[in-house]
Amino acid sequence: MEKILRKKSFPQWVKKLESYTIYAPTKNGDLWIYEVINHSEDINLDYLNTVLSPKKIIFPQREILLEFSASDDGNPEIKEVLPEENPSIVFGVRPCDAKALTLTDQVFGGDFDDLYYWKRRNQAILIGLACNTPPSPNCFCLSVNSSPHSKEGLDILMTDLGDRYYVESLTEKGNKLLNLAKKLFEEPKAKDKKDLEKIQLDSEKKIERQIKEIKKIPPKLKGMFDSPFWDEEAMSCIRCGICTYLCPTCHCFDISDEVLSSSPLEGKRVRTWDTCQFPDFTMHSSGHNPRPDKASRLRQRIMHKFQYFVERYKNFQCTGCGRCISKCPVGIDIIEVLDKVRDYGT
Amino acid sequence: MVSLEELKKEAQMLLEEGKVKYIVGYERSTNGLMPVPAFIKNPEDVERLVWDPSCIYNLTRFLVDEKRRKEKEKKPDTRPVGIVVKGCDSRAVVVLLQEKFINREDVFILGVSCENTGVVDEKKLAEKLKGKKADKIEFSDKDHFVITSNSEKIKIPAQEILAERCLECRASFPVISDVLLGEKVERRPDEPFKSVQKIESLSKEERWAFWKEQLDKCIRCYACRSVCPMCYCDECVVDTISFAVTADTAAEEKAQKIKWIEKSPDSSENFVYHLVRAIHLAGRCIDCGECERACPLDIPVRLLNKKLEKEAKELFDYDVGFDPEKPSLVSSFKDEDPEDFIR
Amino acid sequence: MEPNPYIPTLAKIIQIKEEVGGARPIKTFRTQFLHENGFSFRCGQCAMLSVFGKGESMISISSSPLVEDYLQFSILKMGRVTSSLHEMQEGDIIGIRGPYGNGFPIEKWKGKNLIFIGGGIGLAPIWSVLHTALGKKENYGKISLIYGARTSQDLVFKEELEELRQKMEVHLSIDVEEPEWKEFVGFVPINVLDKKPSPDNAISVTCGPPIMIKFVIQNLEALGFKDEQIFTTVENKMKCGIGKCGRCNIGLHYVCQDGPVYSWAELKNLPQEY
Repeated sequence: MEKILRKKSFPQWVKKLESYTIYAPTKNGDLWIYEVINHSEDINLDYLNTVLSPKKIIFPQREILLEFSASDDGNPEIKEVLPEENPSIVFGVRPCDAKALTLTDQVFGGDFDDLYYWKRRNQAILIGLACNTPPSPNCFCLSVNSSPHSKEGLDILMTDLGDRYYVESLTEKGNKLLNLAKKLFEEPKAKDKKDLEKIQLDSEKKIERQIKEIKKIPPKLKGMFDSPFWDEEAMSCIRCGICTYLCPTCHCFDISDEVLSSSPLEGKRVRTWDTCQFPDFTMHSSGHNPRPDKASRLRQRIMHKFQYFVERYKNFQCTGCGRCISKCPVGIDIIEVLDKVRDYGT
Repeated sequence: MVSLEELKKEAQMLLEEGKVKYIVGYERSTNGLMPVPAFIKNPEDVERLVWDPSCIYNLTRFLVDEKRRKEKEKKPDTRPVGIVVKGCDSRAVVVLLQEKFINREDVFILGVSCENTGVVDEKKLAEKLKGKKADKIEFSDKDHFVITSNSEKIKIPAQEILAERCLECRASFPVISDVLLGEKVERRPDEPFKSVQKIESLSKEERWAFWKEQLDKCIRCYACRSVCPMCYCDECVVDTISFAVTADTAAEEKAQKIKWIEKSPDSSENFVYHLVRAIHLAGRCIDCGECERACPLDIPVRLLNKKLEKEAKELFDYDVGFDPEKPSLVSSFKDEDPEDFIR
Repeated sequence: MEPNPYIPTLAKIIQIKEEVGGARPIKTFRTQFLHENGFSFRCGQCAMLSVFGKGESMISISSSPLVEDYLQFSILKMGRVTSSLHEMQEGDIIGIRGPYGNGFPIEKWKGKNLIFIGGGIGLAPIWSVLHTALGKKENYGKISLIYGARTSQDLVFKEELEELRQKMEVHLSIDVEEPEWKEFVGFVPINVLDKKPSPDNAISVTCGPPIMIKFVIQNLEALGFKDEQIFTTVENKMKCGIGKCGRCNIGLHYVCQDGPVYSWAELKNLPQEY
């Protein structure tokens, strides 16, 4: 379904959706963060990109898996804790972040379905906002099989045409939302479609950064596992967790028991985001660490995203949002590293 | 005026004579105005070095990395590491020397003076430029920076875009160095703890609300800890595993390590992490401001540490990081130290 | 309702046996599910044992799938969870979820000679496949075991090893001379060279400390074994056990799902980081 929505009617549409929990980017100082919107007038789609991607709504940083307690005979009892019923809508999802969710879908599906992830995923309706201009000077979505107007992973895609939005509904869920406010939507005219096409073409031209000949990189990486290249590149890494925590495709997590009381036993088993960049990620109890230094951990991040994931799931584990480049405290630039990989030894 | 050519010449000489293993300095990055740390090993590579108001990073942290690297090597190269430091950074080197974490002969200090100004806060600059992209930034006369944007030259008063810490700077030139470039310009800020006083003037409830809002944003990426030169402990309160573990460590010892803080980014855990870190930095933090710069969620972490620097000065008349011979705050006492907590 | 892979099933510890005492103790635990909804598994697979309040630990199932009364785990005391398990009594309740991993491909080994080589606690993951093969002895050729530990006290399953001698070849060794020790003295890889197992129509399974595995594989190759004939299990830190948390990732594999059993031919193709 393709429709036009006048910008002045947008708050009215949002008002019709109030039975859902609505998430949208909100300004917090200089940053944009996804928050729950309580008043439809508060929605503002004049933004760049959020610091943390909408992945945190589907795969929150802390998720309770189960609760344990001591029963009367002193033995442990466990209770499963699934996410609550919470039909939600997420506005303003950039195409790179939406495509990233299709990649995490593959990880959390497979032989074992992760019920927590899927409950949240299935009850969230994603409304995307196409990027007329790149939200970040470090965007490179075109190089990794995405684009500023990609529809992958979205239920609805909105494009800003100036005084109106071009609204494309891509799924049944999306259609349902449009039907809740039929009167507000108009049929698109030929001029609307022409404007849309022009904006889409222009948006692609505005992406300044790219990884050239990216197809050469996965096979090149395979042969570089033992190369001293990684020691050089990782010299400035300070092994924080910013690149992976902000990344919309990263999915590593830890499972730990949080004890409220040890006697009688009471507590929760939770899962929390974790990162392969922390030194203790692969450390065994015995003290042996397969990735003891920064070089091996940087190598893991790059190879996992651009070689292992490609071999396993046939996609780059990167959608070009540029957050890791913009926020790295020491300026490690993944595009530069990949360029060097491609040209290494030549 | 610090001469970049002089800096390059000094660096080149050190490398040619083999006096240092490598030099840590600043170089241009591939994405934007801010520089990145450079590790120069060959004399011809000194051309990569830069020095301008964008050089905000505290490179002292890499001295900690260097020590860790040496510990793992069987026959380490014992030559010193050359490092480019500003006034604030040099105080960090002093603290590492005070704590005997590194020895004086492990480091060759190439000091650069900020003279009358300091370094630039990227966000303040972006706000001033209103969307224009900054390609280059240079020191101009006494009080201005000149920004080049698409061949347009824009002159901005330094006070408007200086980093917060520069407005409260207590060391405008390196307090310790082997080579010093630029003039020793004394600058004493009128109010060295102004940013802390602003928060102190709020009521208890307002302060609690302020910090709760800020720390609730924390995602526990530990960038603040990772970027700090003083956070070098192998057994950090925050980690559930101690890195001082070997194959011979008894299972009981590993099993009994207390989990002080859960991994979840709950309000309570975030508070404990940040406050414990601030207290562990009392008398050690020299306000390089890196923790705040590194934070992806813009949490004003620096203020917590600055408050403790203020306490150190007011309660114990202790100036952090000026004299490498002076013992650290928490390992020394004077008879005049306040005792009002003893009843 | 789909089963939730993160929720363990409660099981009772019905027997605890101390195999090795001292500074690096090993205990063998036999468990029974409380409500009988257990699982069937293949030899070589592992299960996540839960100590509520402490955490989880991935341990290989050392009993054979032919045994239906209990699941057996042999656990070395190493850190928080394993220390807690060592403090438990018979009758205590833990959680078990699984089975995870790929298991040994024994259906492809019919008619072949099986040579099991283990060191220290490494006998536990092999115990399952060894007993499964013995249980259907008619399907396989000659079955033998070469096993060693640092001292005679560090050998696991001491009594069972004596019983095994009635049914198959058992060659034991310890690293350093001891009075009363009649068998081989020296490291396990050297014992392998001493006993010279033949590579003809044979499969070899080895497990133990990483350094032992490295030299055993070297010596097997020297004896003429091909890469496809050598199998081992890889140990890695694991949390979810179902290929999602990323912790046990090596190359394109998640060891909890695609491993822990690998032939040397497969392992050579993976990045060497374990």
